[in-house]
Order: sequence, then structure tokens, then C-alpha cells
Amino acid sequence: MDECKVIIMGFGAVGQGVANAISMKKDLIKDKTGVTVKIVAAADSSSSAISQDGLDEELLVKTKKEEGKLSAYPEFGSDKNGADVLDAVEYDCLIEATPTNIIDAEPAFSLTLKAFEQGKDVVTSNKGHLALKFKEVIDAAEKAGVQFRYEASVGGAMPIINLAKETISSCNIKSIKGILNGTTNYILSRMTAEGSDYEVILKESQELGIAETDPTQDVEGIDAACKTVILANSILGIDATYSDVKVTGISQISSQAIDLAKKDDYLIKLIAEVSPDNLQVSPRLVKRGSSYDVSGTLNMATIKTDLADEVSVIGLGAGSLETASAMLTDLISILKNKN
Amino acid sequence: MRINLVLELLDVPGQLVSVLEPIGNLGANLVTVIHKRDYKTDTGKVPVQLTLEGEFEDLKNVVERFEDLGITITEIDDVILKEKISTILFGHIIDQDLRDTMDRINALDGVLIVGCEIKLNGEDKSTALINIESDVGLKQVVFDRIAEIAEEKELLVINEV
Repeated sequence: MDECKVIIMGFGAVGQGVANAISMKKDLIKDKTGVTVKIVAAADSSSSAISQDGLDEELLVKTKKEEGKLSAYPEFGSDKNGADVLDAVEYDCLIEATPTNIIDAEPAFSLTLKAFEQGKDVVTSNKGHLALKFKEVIDAAEKAGVQFRYEASVGGAMPIINLAKETISSCNIKSIKGILNGTTNYILSRMTAEGSDYEVILKESQELGIAETDPTQDVEGIDAACKTVILANSILGIDATYSDVKVTGISQISSQAIDLAKKDDYLIKLIAEVSPDNLQVSPRLVKRGSSYDVSGTLNMATIKTDLADEVSVIGLGAGSLETASAMLTDLISILKNKN
Repeated sequence: MRINLVLELLDVPGQLVSVLEPIGNLGANLVTVIHKRDYKTDTGKVPVQLTLEGEFEDLKNVVERFEDLGITITEIDDVILKEKISTILFGHIIDQDLRDTMDRINALDGVLIVGCEIKLNGEDKSTALINIESDVGLKQVVFDRIAEIAEEKELLVINEV
């Protein structure tokens, strides 16, 4: 193949990041794979822009930012949305960046299955369908004989799934422990540095846009638990779903607890543990100066292996271009596998 | 053969002598002894490093004698025999009978609480940092016991990673 036509479903921070990243990296992808990547459709929750001849990446982002919806895209704006977009144009790969939904996994679940049925490869940043129906989604991809990659769903820009599955493929993975949520790491880091109370820092984080208006998914550990399920299934081969994870968030962590931990040279972090006998997200004590001692919105993970002992990675767990970097890496892998 | 031991002694006069005496009496030779009185463990004890030389049987007798004397051996040939565990509990720790919580942890064989620091917050929930010393390999047993108590008393547990 010398051309790859992609559809971007979901045009929030991540979808726009993918459009920007494609614009920046088109030449690099062409160099690495010999394939020209072309966006033939992009869709937000209510509308889309569709053109078989390709859309301008920067104009897509500009239109969404200035007009609020993609139907305002000059000439190619459309009222089509959701699964209809997948029928409206010929494409090779779906880049799925709709918001995570851990109630029923929609619209990601239906969109992904539909793309598989159409024989298309899929790259996703979504956690909902993976946390709730991992096996079902993977089985469907296998049955359809298509590639399905989801590096961006865990740790944003931090490589972990591809690292564990491909880069250190000689090793059996025994467990993974890490900080998989940037918002809670930011809150705990600030509480530690300033000695302030949880509520104060949470409010400031919301004002800074680091925590969401409804912070439940982050602070109660739900987001980290979804990622725990994805790692358990994809890397350790544990057939688990969201309800198998024991989850405790950080909303009960007091500045007093952080002070006491400091006395023994410990920090408190929200740690996700993925091992055959423990799937857990909970506040834990970590030694100052250890690999778990990363602050701000950073994510980290330590992979315990049989041959290489421990391998640790650190990286930005969120952000528009950062998350897009992982999705683009997945797209490049798909293109390399094809040619 | 030689062995290296790390012991913990009370910081009172006569302790070191009481340890050194049995070594010669049981036919082993003392090669080195490092006794740093200005360094203390969490329990307020002084660590002493010993290197002994002798026949296997004699060295074995010395170690057994130390154990009979109630001397804490924390390492033999770099193998750590005691683990230190820290944990934080948050909740109505005092109202939920702190004494009982501690007794139940101490009731485990080879497990001893060596420190407990509590921060009170008026009538609100309080926070406790608990330091535990246990024989090697008992970490999970300690965590399980704490988890069991915490569930019953509705405490939040923050364990080491």
C-alpha cells in the first residue's frame, strides 16, 4: 500500500492532537513506511467533515476550535455522525479517540466492532471498551483478521504496552506496578510539597484544568483501575474486567498522613498493581528516591520480568500531542506490518 | 569457615561483652567487630557487625547460643533475617480500640510493633504510622492481618508498595 486513508472519530483534545501530529509527521511516516497518511474523515459528537480526496489537518483543528463543530468545515462539512461516517467514505484505518465511557463502553465499542467488520485496522486511546469487554474486542479483531492497537489507552505518551509485548518480548512479565493517573499524582505531589489539604489542592487543580469539574474518575481511582484491567489482559494474559479490581482513591488522604509518611522517608502515591494474585489501585507508601518517586502529572510503571528483572518507564500520561504520539506510533506499526 | 553476623544490642553497659564471651568459649574465633554506638535502630538498639571464624559446628553453636540469650540477629552472611514494615492507618483508630489493633498484630509469631505515631484531628478521623519488625517472609502475613483488622474497623490502610 502506498496510501493510508484514516478516519478520526472523536475530535476533542486527543483527536485534534492526532490531526496536528499527522500534519507534523506526514513526511516522517512516508520516509519510515513509504506510505502517505491522509485524513478522509473526522467526526465530533454531532457532525463531521468528509472528503475522499483528503482533508487539511490544520483546517480541521482550526474549524473545530473556532466554530465548535466540524460541520463548519468549508465545502466538506457534514451532519453525518457516529457509525454513519464509517459508511460514508472509503478508509483503511479508524483512529478512535472518543471519550471513555465505563458504563456501557459506547460509542467506542460499536464503532470499533463496525470497523473490524468492514475489515479495517483500528488504533484507539479509549479505555472504556477495553476495561469492560477486552476479550470480546480482541477476539473480534482476530476474527476479522485486522490489526488493533491501543498503546495510548494506558499512560498516554509513556510506552508500556508495546514495550512489554514487543521490546522486551524475551521476558515473561510477572507484575506491573505504577502510577497510571497524572491528576492524582499532581494532587498528591502538591500536598507533599506544600503540606496543604486535599480539598485545597483539588480546587486549584480544577482551576488549572488538571483536574476535571467532576474529578471522580481520577480521584476515586476509576481511571487507574481501567488501565489496570487493560494491562492485566494485554500483558499478563489475565482474563479480568473492571469489577475484578480492588479500588481505593485518594480523597481520604490527609496532609497528616503525608506528614507521617515523610517521617519515615516515604511518599504517598496512588499505585496500580497488576499481578496474577492482585489487581488493585490504592494509595501506597513508596520510598523517596525510588523509581516510584515521580511528581507532577507524570506517570510511571515498573515491569517485573523473569530475565531482565525490573524495567521502569516514566512519561507524560496525558496531553493532546503526547497522547497522539502513542497513537501515531501505533499507526506506524500497523503500516510497517502491512508492507 | 567464616560467617558475618549483624546483631542488635541494647545500649546498656556490659552488652557487648556478654555477646563476645560465648564466642571463644564455644571454640570460634572473632575476626572483626564493628560497634557503632552513635547509630541506633528504630527500636533504639545498637547494631553490631561480627565476623567469626571456626568449624561449621562451632559457628552453629554460637548462633544458637545468641538466640538462647535473646539477642536479635538481623543478618547472617548478608541474608536479612528481619524485615521492617511501615504502614499508615487512617480512621477512628483510637475509638476502634488501638490496643486491640496492636495486640492482634503482635500476636503473630515473629512479628513485633516497634513504633507507633498518631496524629489526632479533634473528633475527626486520626492517622497512625506503625512500624513493624518481622521475621523474613512474613510480610504478606502482616499485610493480611492488617487488612483484616482494617476491614472490620473501617480503617484506610496505606501499605508499602
